[in-house]
Amino acid sequence: MKQEISKPSQSQRGSVRKSQKALPHAFLLSVPQWIGVLAVFLALVLFLPTAWEAWESFDPELNYRVPYETSQDYWQYERHLKQRTQENDIFFVGDSVVWGEYVTADATWSAFLNEQAAGEYQFVNLALNGLYPLALEGLVRHYGSDLRHGKVMLHCNLLWMSSPSADLSQSKEQVFNHPTLVPQFRVSIPSYRATLDTRLGRAIGHQWSFLAWVRHLQIQYWEQKDPYAWTLADNGKYPPAYPNSYTMPWSVVDGRLISEPDMDPDRGMQSTRHKPWSDEGVGTQRFDWVPLDDSLQWQAFQRLCQVLQDRGNDLIVVLGPFNQHIMTVDNRAKFKAIENEVKQWLESRSIVYSAPKLLNSSLYGDASHPLTQGYRQLAESLWNDLDFKAWLSR
Amino acid sequence: MLFHTWTFLIFFPIVFLGYLAFKKTSLRVPWLLAASYVFYGSWNPFYLLLIIYSTALDYWVVAWMEACGSSKSAHSSSRRWASLLQWRSPVRSLRVAAWIGRVGLLLSLGLGLMGPAGSQAVACLLGVLSLTMMFAASMQSRKAWLGVSMINNLSFLLYFKYADFFIENANQLFVRLGFNIQWPEAATLMPFGWEYLLPVGISFYTFQSMSYTLDFYFGKLPREKKFLNFATYVAFFPQLVAGPIERAASLLPQFEKAPRIRIKDITDGASLFLIGLFKKLALANYLSYYVERVYGMPDEFGGAALALATLAFAWQIYFDFSGYTDMARGIALMMGYKLMLNFNRPYLATSLGDFWSRWHISLSTWFRDYVYIPLGGNRHGAKKAYLYLGITFLLSAIWHGAAWTFIIWGLLHAVGTMATRELESQAWYHDRVPIALKRLFVFLFVSFAWIFFRAETVSDAWLIVSRIAGSAWTDPAMPLLMVGLIVLMWAYQWLQETRFRIWTEAAWFKVMGAVFMLIWLCFFSSSGGAFIYFQF
Repeated sequence: MKQEISKPSQSQRGSVRKSQKALPHAFLLSVPQWIGVLAVFLALVLFLPTAWEAWESFDPELNYRVPYETSQDYWQYERHLKQRTQENDIFFVGDSVVWGEYVTADATWSAFLNEQAAGEYQFVNLALNGLYPLALEGLVRHYGSDLRHGKVMLHCNLLWMSSPSADLSQSKEQVFNHPTLVPQFRVSIPSYRATLDTRLGRAIGHQWSFLAWVRHLQIQYWEQKDPYAWTLADNGKYPPAYPNSYTMPWSVVDGRLISEPDMDPDRGMQSTRHKPWSDEGVGTQRFDWVPLDDSLQWQAFQRLCQVLQDRGNDLIVVLGPFNQHIMTVDNRAKFKAIENEVKQWLESRSIVYSAPKLLNSSLYGDASHPLTQGYRQLAESLWNDLDFKAWLSR
Repeated sequence: MLFHTWTFLIFFPIVFLGYLAFKKTSLRVPWLLAASYVFYGSWNPFYLLLIIYSTALDYWVVAWMEACGSSKSAHSSSRRWASLLQWRSPVRSLRVAAWIGRVGLLLSLGLGLMGPAGSQAVACLLGVLSLTMMFAASMQSRKAWLGVSMINNLSFLLYFKYADFFIENANQLFVRLGFNIQWPEAATLMPFGWEYLLPVGISFYTFQSMSYTLDFYFGKLPREKKFLNFATYVAFFPQLVAGPIERAASLLPQFEKAPRIRIKDITDGASLFLIGLFKKLALANYLSYYVERVYGMPDEFGGAALALATLAFAWQIYFDFSGYTDMARGIALMMGYKLMLNFNRPYLATSLGDFWSRWHISLSTWFRDYVYIPLGGNRHGAKKAYLYLGITFLLSAIWHGAAWTFIIWGLLHAVGTMATRELESQAWYHDRVPIALKRLFVFLFVSFAWIFFRAETVSDAWLIVSRIAGSAWTDPAMPLLMVGLIVLMWAYQWLQETRFRIWTEAAWFKVMGAVFMLIWLCFFSSSGGAFIYFQF
């Protein structure tokens, strides 16, 4: 039986043509229409955040710090920075030691420095809770361009080199704060296992401030969620209730920013957390210090110094003071060696530094965070430091 | 790699620019094929082995089928039987095929007797395939070659999609009948300890490849001589993992020469991509959260929530799947390739038959052309037509997955299609029942059937149905925003089928609509997962 090999049948070709022609959408845009779309979209992208700044009132006090709940609101961080670029402003950049983990906003290191300066200088708390050098580097790179040419105090906390886990160099995956800020591609961070897509999204997100502004809205008004998730959020109880189901997301956008609570149960003298580390019954510890040559956090700190220097910042590094009381005696030698290495590196790069003296044991809340009185002493000691004075006045 | 990810938004411009650079060279098709394999391999590089093997086999099967055709007049039936007895063929290319069959047979024997535990099933399949190849080559039988292709393609589908279902049900049957037999799980049959994973989109590319073999067998299509063209047809990345299931007659000729890319193709493609992205990220993903909440614990929600979640799922699956198709068509169109329409406002259908001419058109036409019509179609009277329709729907249901829920879903559609076909033949229904009412009825019926499609188990589905009908209608807590979006989208679709469509075609409407979608995506897009139809 001979089999005919034929071209596609008439009906087949007909149905193919028909399906190709049939377009159920009226939404096929022409070239001029696409140009119009892109023009309007770009205008909105550029205009909306600026207009928002005008509408949403933000008048930070002298000792303002980005509230704990909004630590990931980098757009707000940048906005704070933009508003504080007067001549006598000194920007204090760092992690939760500078931010003030156990203390209220008026009892931080920068707040007590403001007390000392009595208006001669204004020390701006430009720290965020939960930062560490790898994230701090990203924060300054992407959201700190307004620091350019300013006087910057950069805090160096050796806690981040105190173990492979803190250094993020252990191969086990870890969940940590501010993952969007760590280098997504330039540096291999063994503890960071984000997918390629997540990394790309994070890298692109930093390049487009509109997305940071959208994140600002999500953090400030929608409980850190996207508006969809916010409408579906439950109250965390069982059986659950869904308080936002019948509220439109935009109806809660009232222009009032999240501020620090008046009586923060977690911070300040009245807080149960505000107590010396030894009161917890924690004994001395042995830290598994990471050699500086291998430390990812130290490399990030070095790069950060370079970025600031390249931007023409007048830089001083404030080193520690790490709570050495918490260390076993034999562990202190290793710490000292690392501290000396840091100092040598700073000197080799002609970076001014100040290393305040170790505080009394009772003035530390943990391995690195001072309590209120500790910050007061640190501010006094720094203010009276001659090198610091010389740096301030130059 | 999903279309709505940053990775794809980097991948596609690279592919597109490379494509433009190679468009007028002989590297055009290899470039597309390489891009398609990178795209597919990004899920799991081992999947590539499967698709390459499947492609190569179907390509050669058709070549050997062609060799049979050309030699038929030269060799009588008796000579072919003689060839079979001697296990050799007078045609050179078929002799090669017979040798491959022999080697395959030896391998299967070796694997079966000396291979690692679990490789016996593979050995068995290889043996059957090799024997069929030897038979087809010796007998110069086109039908046997078609059998080789079918055995190969369907065995992969059977193993990866249906084995667990059959084994589980067979084991239950053995227990009930009192036999002391328990078949091992399908995963234990994987050779060399490889992981038992359902290859993404296997049903789509297998059906696409099979349509080529079938069309050639039925004489509707000439053989594609260029292997790379055929491989690109099977693996073309825009539609590889979730369709539309293209026909060789439509797509293969498009690879023959470089398509002309007009500016309009790019703008239309970008429009389709934007719409698809919006459907997936802004609509489908949002609805999925509510559906998951309710369907995840159906016994904890009242009738209202379950009914609304069912309606939400109807829209979720539509936005999810048609969104993917829009993106696929948009991406292909930007490169100058035209893929078939897969969805045409299905929830405005006035009968179940009409629904299936608007929903997953590429699959329903596939089953129509390769199952329903070959079975007999409408040619043998209404009763037989309904029987064939039932079989077609059953197979279509099984295509979606091996579970009783899918089978019930398919049978519901079969019954619904027959019922509405009968109703449409009645003058009172056809002429007097308002179209809006018919549409509402079809939508509600389809939504009801989706309960079985979405529920994890049949008992879950029954529970949902019984709770919708019988439990108290407490506060469903369906977000108002979600309700608003559904109403808006329904109204928009309805507008498209009325004379007011012209409004939506106004330039200002389109520009503002696209800007709205872009801004909305920035604000509201939630990081959703894969497309629902990837699991098929």
